[in-house]
Amino acid sequence: MRKYIIKRVVEAILVVFAITVITFIILNVIPGDPVLLILGDRADANTIEMVRHQMGFDKPLHIQFFNYLGKLLHLDLGVSYFTREAVFQSLSRAFTLTIKLALSAYAFALVFGITFGVIASVKRGKFIDKFLMSTSIIGISAPSFWVAIILQIIFGLKLNLLPISGGESVSAFILPAFALGTRYIASIARITRTSMLEIIGQDYVRTAEAKGVSKWRVTIGHALRNALLPIITLIGAELGGVLTGSMLIEKVFSISGIGKLTVDSILSRDMPVLQGAIIYIATICVIIYLLVDISYAYIDPRIRLGDEQ
Amino acid sequence: MKNTRKLLATILALSLAIGAVSCGEGTTKADNGGKEKKILRFAEANPKNSLDMQTNTNSKVAVISDHITESLLRYDEDLNLIPILIKDMPKVSEDGLTYSFELKEGIKFHNGETLKSSDVKFTFERMFTPATGALSTYNYDMIVGAKEMLAATRESLEGFKVIDDTKFEITLTEPYAPFISNLAISYAEIFPEKATKEAGENWGITTLIGTGPYKLESNNQDTGVTLVKNENYHDGIPNLDEIQVKYIDDINTQLLEYEKGNIDVVALDATLYKNYAENDNFKDEVNEYHPLGTTFLNINNEDEVLGNAKVREALSYAVNREEIANYLLNGTVTPAKAFLNPNIPGYNQEAKDYEYSIEKAKSLLDEAGYKNGVQIKATVSSADGNASKVFTAIQAQVKEAGIDLTIESLDAAAFNQKKKDGELQLYLATWNGLYPDGDHFMNAYLYSANSRTKSVNYNNSKFDEIMSKARVSSNKEERAKLYKEADAIATREDYAVIPLYNQSSFFLAKPYVENMKIGNLIYHFFNVDINTELQNKK
Repeated sequence: MRKYIIKRVVEAILVVFAITVITFIILNVIPGDPVLLILGDRADANTIEMVRHQMGFDKPLHIQFFNYLGKLLHLDLGVSYFTREAVFQSLSRAFTLTIKLALSAYAFALVFGITFGVIASVKRGKFIDKFLMSTSIIGISAPSFWVAIILQIIFGLKLNLLPISGGESVSAFILPAFALGTRYIASIARITRTSMLEIIGQDYVRTAEAKGVSKWRVTIGHALRNALLPIITLIGAELGGVLTGSMLIEKVFSISGIGKLTVDSILSRDMPVLQGAIIYIATICVIIYLLVDISYAYIDPRIRLGDEQ
Repeated sequence: MKNTRKLLATILALSLAIGAVSCGEGTTKADNGGKEKKILRFAEANPKNSLDMQTNTNSKVAVISDHITESLLRYDEDLNLIPILIKDMPKVSEDGLTYSFELKEGIKFHNGETLKSSDVKFTFERMFTPATGALSTYNYDMIVGAKEMLAATRESLEGFKVIDDTKFEITLTEPYAPFISNLAISYAEIFPEKATKEAGENWGITTLIGTGPYKLESNNQDTGVTLVKNENYHDGIPNLDEIQVKYIDDINTQLLEYEKGNIDVVALDATLYKNYAENDNFKDEVNEYHPLGTTFLNINNEDEVLGNAKVREALSYAVNREEIANYLLNGTVTPAKAFLNPNIPGYNQEAKDYEYSIEKAKSLLDEAGYKNGVQIKATVSSADGNASKVFTAIQAQVKEAGIDLTIESLDAAAFNQKKKDGELQLYLATWNGLYPDGDHFMNAYLYSANSRTKSVNYNNSKFDEIMSKARVSSNKEERAKLYKEADAIATREDYAVIPLYNQSSFFLAKPYVENMKIGNLIYHFFNVDINTELQNKK
């Protein structure tokens, strides 16, 4: 098991480094001079060149890269071209907000998604099953920003129950969590149902029922537990997306999370922030996939042993 | 039955939980020793910038910084230039090179220090120090020694002479009539030397100290800024106790918060004007103002097709400005008659409307050698929501004259790059003057050297000569006459750009917000007051 983990960790580090290099190259090749966005239309040509020189854009690309790499090794992600704030600080703040939003949305999605999936599988073919699965299609299909706006209007404005925007209070996260979690409820519910139906049909489940074990214990204790693998895979795959920020939800609810920070930095060509955000996103995804792989190996020893062989 | 009861109990518990959490919001008004606090709440998109106006050019930052730090002069909401930190308008030497200033006495910064001439000198020297990274030095680099400082060949500003704690002189390398106006804009706000040095890299981030009517209480880069009144303000205690600037990027969310009552003043996009102007609940809260801007078709005068003046003139005849103004943009704009905005000295009050005539357009294209039509490509920036709409309308209009207009869309950064490289053939531009002066309007945009970075590539030596002459003249009437002449050359003879319309801008303000007025681009709350009685009645 230890060998397996070490191997995966080394691979993860190499992946993050490769992404850093590729990102740097791409960001410096795509059209769009951040100096023009910083200065606006009023600056004359001399000022543009002066600022380019001050910011080091006139240096050869490889020099710029090595300077960047040198700072990165000291965990210095640089300073935003616009806010002049340390990128690490901006990312930390954005990360905290995104984590809060992501965990709220995901907790919400897990509780309701698994519950609906289990109910649908147990009540297969009945009205409740059809209702829950049809609703899940709407959940997957509805654009999240549309859901967000509807929630703002109904619960924020008309009913005046919850804040319309912001990320400063607990209540401010309820609507965004609901808006973001809706599509994940749907996908988790569907995969839970499918996975549960496979397990419920197994001999050992029928044996447990025959032995008089309660339906509740059979469903949760035996069936759900064994149906977890595909659910964990989905959770892992989607958690990466949730933790890297939902730009639309963050924009509508005015939450300055990672998603919004990333998109804003793309549009403004705020390279240090963008580079930092991409490294963050890559690291998060790599860690999550690593944890999924490790949990797979732990749950199913055949995976670990097969790899070691 | 048992399961139904469990389900209902769960729903009830969740509802109670939501209610409990949402009831803990509290109110924004706070008691002020028995007196109701006057707190103005304003929403704008997050400028994502430091509050130091030397290192950014963002007007959204100026909304905040203009209340904290002050320039020597300021344009008020009626566009009058008034002295703020100085006793009177500066005396200018006969040769137009030396400006003499005298500061008002006893003006204090928020930290209690007295404003002195040395602080003014420090502010300008900081601006020209390369390490600062100041972005608007071109407005002031005609001060003797400025360019040397920027080139790091000098460390002090030779053209700034401190006479005593309140008197100083600034000497320029050449006469420059708009210099006083440039001293009135946000980029020349005066900083306290000691506090600025102490704050170092945090200046404009966690610390900003000035002489303004409001002090910086808190600056949260993500959520907004809180300003509190300066009890020792040199021009009288301001009306408001607090100004809260909330960062909300999405304009719909801004308006929802306004409708809910969490925001008192908010900008209203022209596309949404009708929704509120025709809504009985909000129509009395809609306000209009007229920025010093003109929207026009920016043409590449060195382009193979548009380099021909007859083609440009044909394009002007083929565009129906009335239709765009009245139908497409719902009357929120006025057809333009010149490049200069009507409030800029030099605007030709007798100018005729630009004629709309498909026949004349066709005839001109024929003369230019394009009898069978011509292809032109318009480029729009993804950051400009209006441009696509306007060009789509123009595309249909000019088709009748035989102009096949295609529209390409680029993201803002790529668009700006191509613009700077002079590669755009045609795009929609709006140029706003920071103050009512023709130099800031025409020279900055159409003077040959400046027009290159805007894909205009306009090069008319007579026009340039007029610009240079107007720039050094101290006679206001003469300058106005020169700008009038230059405008006619650029837009009625050369058709270097094609003026389309002058915009109106709008904002919403609650009925209890008094004296809210906007002169040009920036939201200032210097004279704003809140009628707390009316506010409590709502």
